Amino acid sequence: MDVPAISTENLTRRFGELVAVDNMNLRVAGGQFFGFLGPNGAGKSTTIKMLTGLLAPSAGRMEMLGLDLVANPVEVKRQIGVVPEGMALFGRLTGAEYLNFVGRMYGLDRETAAKRTAELLEFMQLADQPKALITDYSHGMQKKLALAAAVIHGPKILFLDEPFEGVDAIASGTLKSMLHGMIARGATIFLTSHVLEIVERLCSHVAIIHRGRLVAQGSLEELRAGVQAQGEQTGAGEKLTLEEIFLRIVGGSRAAEQELSWLG
Amino acid sequence: MAGVNSTPLSLAWPEAREQFAAIARLRWRIFVNSLRTLRGRLEMVSWIFVGFGFAVLGLGGMFGLATASWYFASHDTLEWLALPLWGVFLYWQLFPVMATAFTENFDSSNFLRFPLRYRSYFFIRMAYGALEPTTLIGTLWLLGMTAGIGIGAPRLLPWAAIALATFWALNVLLARMIFAWIERWLARRKSREILGVVFFLFVISFQFIGPVMGHYGKRNRPAVPGAIGDLIPAEKLSPAGLAAKVVAEASRGNPGNALGSLAFECVYSAAFLWLLNVRLRAQYRGENLSESIAPVTSRAEKQAVRTGWGLPGLSGPVAALFEKELRYLTRSGPMLFNLAMPIVILLIFRIGPAHGRRGGPFTQHADLAFPIGAAYALLILSNLTYNSFGVEGGGIQFLFVSPVRFREILVAKNLVQGAVLALEVALVWAGASLMFRPPGIGITLATLAGALFAALLNFTAGNLLSLYAPKKFDSAVFGRQRAAGTTVLVSLGVQVVIVLLATVALLTGMHYGRIWIATIIFLALAAAAFGGYVAMLDRVDQIAISRRENLIAELCRA
Repeated sequence: MDVPAISTENLTRRFGELVAVDNMNLRVAGGQFFGFLGPNGAGKSTTIKMLTGLLAPSAGRMEMLGLDLVANPVEVKRQIGVVPEGMALFGRLTGAEYLNFVGRMYGLDRETAAKRTAELLEFMQLADQPKALITDYSHGMQKKLALAAAVIHGPKILFLDEPFEGVDAIASGTLKSMLHGMIARGATIFLTSHVLEIVERLCSHVAIIHRGRLVAQGSLEELRAGVQAQGEQTGAGEKLTLEEIFLRIVGGSRAAEQELSWLG
Repeated sequence: MAGVNSTPLSLAWPEAREQFAAIARLRWRIFVNSLRTLRGRLEMVSWIFVGFGFAVLGLGGMFGLATASWYFASHDTLEWLALPLWGVFLYWQLFPVMATAFTENFDSSNFLRFPLRYRSYFFIRMAYGALEPTTLIGTLWLLGMTAGIGIGAPRLLPWAAIALATFWALNVLLARMIFAWIERWLARRKSREILGVVFFLFVISFQFIGPVMGHYGKRNRPAVPGAIGDLIPAEKLSPAGLAAKVVAEASRGNPGNALGSLAFECVYSAAFLWLLNVRLRAQYRGENLSESIAPVTSRAEKQAVRTGWGLPGLSGPVAALFEKELRYLTRSGPMLFNLAMPIVILLIFRIGPAHGRRGGPFTQHADLAFPIGAAYALLILSNLTYNSFGVEGGGIQFLFVSPVRFREILVAKNLVQGAVLALEVALVWAGASLMFRPPGIGITLATLAGALFAALLNFTAGNLLSLYAPKKFDSAVFGRQRAAGTTVLVSLGVQVVIVLLATVALLTGMHYGRIWIATIIFLALAAAAFGGYVAMLDRVDQIAISRRENLIAELCRA
């Protein structure tokens, strides 16, 4: 049996009385483009922080590529790339200095780090301002730089928290093709996003978290079949969209006539 | 928006009134909500103390200025009113700039997204300024002066009221105008940092006033009274001089001249109003203060990515961290400023008098200049060592997701701090040698051994405090940034211990007449401190993991 890229066992995180993540058993196979969805406050960011070592779990186990994250943090971190919520940038470095720095922190030699830095800056269209400090970059530029930093060492698993937020359409297309390229070469991508259309177009597998609990997990087809098996009717030949699946699973629908009739 | 703008004034006023009331409620809610946190409550307590100070200043100044004005009015020397008016003017214009220009202020331009008319926006900006303590104090002072003149010469009360009311409006407009333009300049990081450096050089220059006065004080300067004499006619055209002249001319029975001066004062006010209007109109129209102006870059420059530093004996990650730390340091005006201070202190001692002799306290004991300068350098460096992660901001998350242990990260940071200390000590040695005389070999070695011991002890305590009590620190901002209270207390305790041990070591050496004994004691202490440092490094990864949530929460705070 293949070792899953990411697996959790009864993963739990409590903040005082609040159970943010409740006994989560997640399994992501290698090579999957995995979308992790949930309404605001469902526990997505808490989960991704635990999986990347930014937050300690209250209980449970996490394994990446068969390695326990708590027991082997350094070995696991070598295999993963992360774009966290706050992007984790050092504002008073230039883009090139930052990428060089990140590459060397992941163990690349000086020449390789510099070569990949130049390639990534060009690829992300960030090479035009070699002397600008990151603090002076626009939000979209910072996002692209954070993404470049997350892949400079060629990670086997990539964690992306809202990677397309604030990124323009051209860059977004470039990023998507880069991510597909990584999947084609066997990497695993774990992505959270509120834009369900993006997840539907990119991801082969999806998990939905609601109030800290994992309420659905599988391929899009499996989720669709599951919702339809529960009695949800669709027109002949009509496929449920991910948005419809999501709303039916988390119960987010609302009658239109109840809503804000005074709006023009 | 077109509909809103075309609303007649009679309909627009209730809307504007609602908007003002909403803004007042917003400010009130922000204040009330701030009291939910301990930090907010402590802030309010400190504001009560500060408010008491301001009240004393305002009311005390009001009575003092009323008395002075009464004296000038009753002795018919009203030209001298210019003197207190200059004081009021300088306080009103300089104090707010020095107190708040380099910190974040509430950005009232946020209100522009609402359908505010320009008049309302202008009014809000003025109202924000009028409620500042400086304006309230200045108003009290001018009221006191008006009352003093009225009591001293009742017939001049209407003239005094008009002249000082115009002077009040002029000050309010000028202060708002200065703030609006400073805000414009501070919107860009580079100009903000340049202004920060200029401001602090201005503050440093005050340190030299005493020594320079002492240095040149006894020399005859016949040109100075002449220069002051030349300035007096120009002073009469200043806002303060004009306001005084209005009252003085009225007292002499020259209403024409008084009105002329008043008109001139109004011209000043109108000019400031115009400049303020230019700025606020630009804001109202939604000017773009973006700093990301893309320069045209040549192809060759685009590709010029240099390799990182290779430092012999250091692993790749430690060398990368060393390079990053040094780059941060060299791009931080406040840090460079702090590091220059030991030399500045020696210079102040060099210039200043001490019982009539140049060279200050080091005239008799020139050998002390080097150890004292080195101790000061260590003290300044503690800003860095006790809050090593303060400047990382969101970057702290990267340090936690990277495959590098915290012991390596802290070793790299300490290496940079050690290198900076070595450079500082070398500069202080060179400075002491040039300004006084070269320190003897014995005191030099003892100082170096003492610095080694103190640095290791500070690194050990500093690394722990950096993890246990981090405080976000903007490396580009001058002033108003303090370490956590725990850090301040512990670092103070460590410095006291270092001073006590150093005193014991030096006194022992002096008692036996052999300074090398102090060197030996310092080296023994350094060996013990090194043991403590290694023991700390062995535990630091565990501590970092256990403290990661606090570190990230504090350093990623907006």
